[in-house]
Amino acid sequence: MQRRSFIALAAALATLAGATAPAHADALETIMETGTIRIAVPQDFPPFGSVGTDLQPVGYDIDMAMLIGERLGVDVEIVPVTSANRIPYLQTDMVDLVISSLGKNAEREAVIDFTDAYAPFFNGVFGPDSIDVGSVEDLDGQIVGVTRGSVEDLTLTDMIGDGVTMRRYEDNNGTISAFLSGQVELIATGNVVAAAILERDPDIRPEIKFLVQDSPCYIGLNQGEDALKAAINEIIAEAKTDGSLEAISMEWLGQELPEDL
Amino acid sequence: MGYQLNFGWIPQYMPVLLHGIGITIYLIAVGAVAGCILGIVCAWTRALGPVWARPPVAAYVELIRNTPFMVQLFFIFFGLPSLGVQMNELQAATLAMIVNLGAYSCEIIRAGIQATPKGQFEAGASLAMSRIQTFRHVVLIPALQRIWPALSSQIVIVMLGSAVVSQVAAEDLTYAANFIQSRNFRAFETYIVATVVYLGLSILLRFALDALGWVLFPRRKAAR
Amino acid sequence: MIEFTYWDIIRNLLLATRWTILLSLVSFIGGGLVGLIVMSMRISKNRIVSAIARGYIELFQGTPLLMQLFLAFFGMALLGFTVPAWLAAGTALILWTAAFLSEIWRGCVQAIAKGQWEASASLAMSRFEQMRYVILPQAIRIAIPPTVGFSVQVVKGTALTSIIGFIELTRAGTTLTNATFQPFLVYGLVALIYFALCWPLSKSSQILERRLNVSHNRH
Repeated sequence: MQRRSFIALAAALATLAGATAPAHADALETIMETGTIRIAVPQDFPPFGSVGTDLQPVGYDIDMAMLIGERLGVDVEIVPVTSANRIPYLQTDMVDLVISSLGKNAEREAVIDFTDAYAPFFNGVFGPDSIDVGSVEDLDGQIVGVTRGSVEDLTLTDMIGDGVTMRRYEDNNGTISAFLSGQVELIATGNVVAAAILERDPDIRPEIKFLVQDSPCYIGLNQGEDALKAAINEIIAEAKTDGSLEAISMEWLGQELPEDL
Repeated sequence: MGYQLNFGWIPQYMPVLLHGIGITIYLIAVGAVAGCILGIVCAWTRALGPVWARPPVAAYVELIRNTPFMVQLFFIFFGLPSLGVQMNELQAATLAMIVNLGAYSCEIIRAGIQATPKGQFEAGASLAMSRIQTFRHVVLIPALQRIWPALSSQIVIVMLGSAVVSQVAAEDLTYAANFIQSRNFRAFETYIVATVVYLGLSILLRFALDALGWVLFPRRKAAR
Repeated sequence: MIEFTYWDIIRNLLLATRWTILLSLVSFIGGGLVGLIVMSMRISKNRIVSAIARGYIELFQGTPLLMQLFLAFFGMALLGFTVPAWLAAGTALILWTAAFLSEIWRGCVQAIAKGQWEASASLAMSRFEQMRYVILPQAIRIAIPPTVGFSVQVVKGTALTSIIGFIELTRAGTTLTNATFQPFLVYGLVALIYFALCWPLSKSSQILERRLNVSHNRH
């Protein structure tokens, strides 16, 4: 209760500070007024966002959204999105935040704003034992499947030479299906995704070949919403120290949060 | 809303766009030619072919016409490998286009064949033409001429439907649009550009098909 | 990992099918009404009105429905109208359906012999009266089979609304595949449900067409 009122106070103060910014409706102010925050979440990216047996979204990102709503003291309106439409949702003001395992790069930062990191994400290249690949140089002449626009897509695309063919699938399901059906032998994906595949005990087992990047996920919001950004960063920082983020990580990723997140 | 449209990214992504346009044109060219040939064979089977072959062809046509293209594509790309039929995304997309157009053109061409007056067959036979010759000269060409507008429309529809092949990473125009917007986050501008290109492509395709109709059926005016 | 039983999968797909059916109905009825207007404009003697209708038809028949849906949803929002996914999906599908139905119906109206127009004009009927009492009653009969046939395309077209986050049959299928890793089973069921929805429509269109031809021949 105390914490909640503190956040509300911080939010109010931040709102005041934000009032001097160029005049347009402040997102945080609107959220506090309506008592509802609208958050875009994935539902095709386990364990960050998937669905339960009732088709309601569940996962790391959804728990994070709920945590933010709880700490702000407002209701959360969960808006399921795809990787193709998550940013337009934000830009057209249909949601206040995008919590969808977003990676950050300069080109994206020109369009939207990001909070601090809220989730760890390691991605690597995975493939069956029969393929001898140990580094990015070994990829020459190989075909690698990846989910278009994901963190690993952006990172790996920058690292590879001309000899590597990238196959970019619409969503994670496409990437996983392509791997399991043998359409691609190597995939670049998150360790958690590979673990999810292994859990199903498939014929073709995705073993780690090499680590591409340790690149955490960020929450996306519209530019100029400094008050909202400050409030969210506050919540993230608090969740990291009080163990609530740790609990989410243990539940969905089955591992502790890394020290440097 | 304070959102400014920005098309400054176009030069940077021009190669990606052009590549996508090239693949879309390739898909529709191969899909249309092979799809129509498949359609002709199926139409012949259903209208005049051996009786035992008619039900399977009818089942194929009904199945394709009553399920979304996307589901057919997924079956070919993700489903067939488990039967040992491996193909890359471009081959899968091409095959899906052919199979899809084959079913639709079969129905269109069959309608044209069935509209052939019975006397035409007899006239063909009285000229000592073989069955194949009769089919080709007496039945098929006039039938195609009759249904050419309907067939042209269907080819354009299939071209626009090809936007879905990006789902299996075939690098067509929609793939290019999705690729670009996943990098620059400028979805509206990217989709507007793609839509304009599609419109241009479909107008061009329609012109090309009309022109082809005039070349293929020079006696069109005389026949009427 | 959450385990899905077969029943969970089927139940969720069937629940999502409700939205596919509802969206199809809305698109078809709305598209029919708008299509009627576009068709009247298209056959109007006023060149400008006719050209506007032709441009409309060209635009919606010449671009992928996928792009139309996307631009409708996010484009409207850019213009300042925040619309829920179902409304945008419905609007885009109505406009798309109207473009095709208006062309189908124009063909049917124009198939009515010119003598009918002249005969009704000689009875001093207004253009509206000509349409209402002479042309449409005849055109509707030949229009029914292709119209029912096109409804199949509308049902299949609703599959694309998944891109703007509308959860219907295809979207539910994709989501379930991600949760269950059983693409063959899920997409097989999805295809089966679409077939169950579309095949009766296709079949009745064919039967209607045959009946109509028979009655034509009797004349």
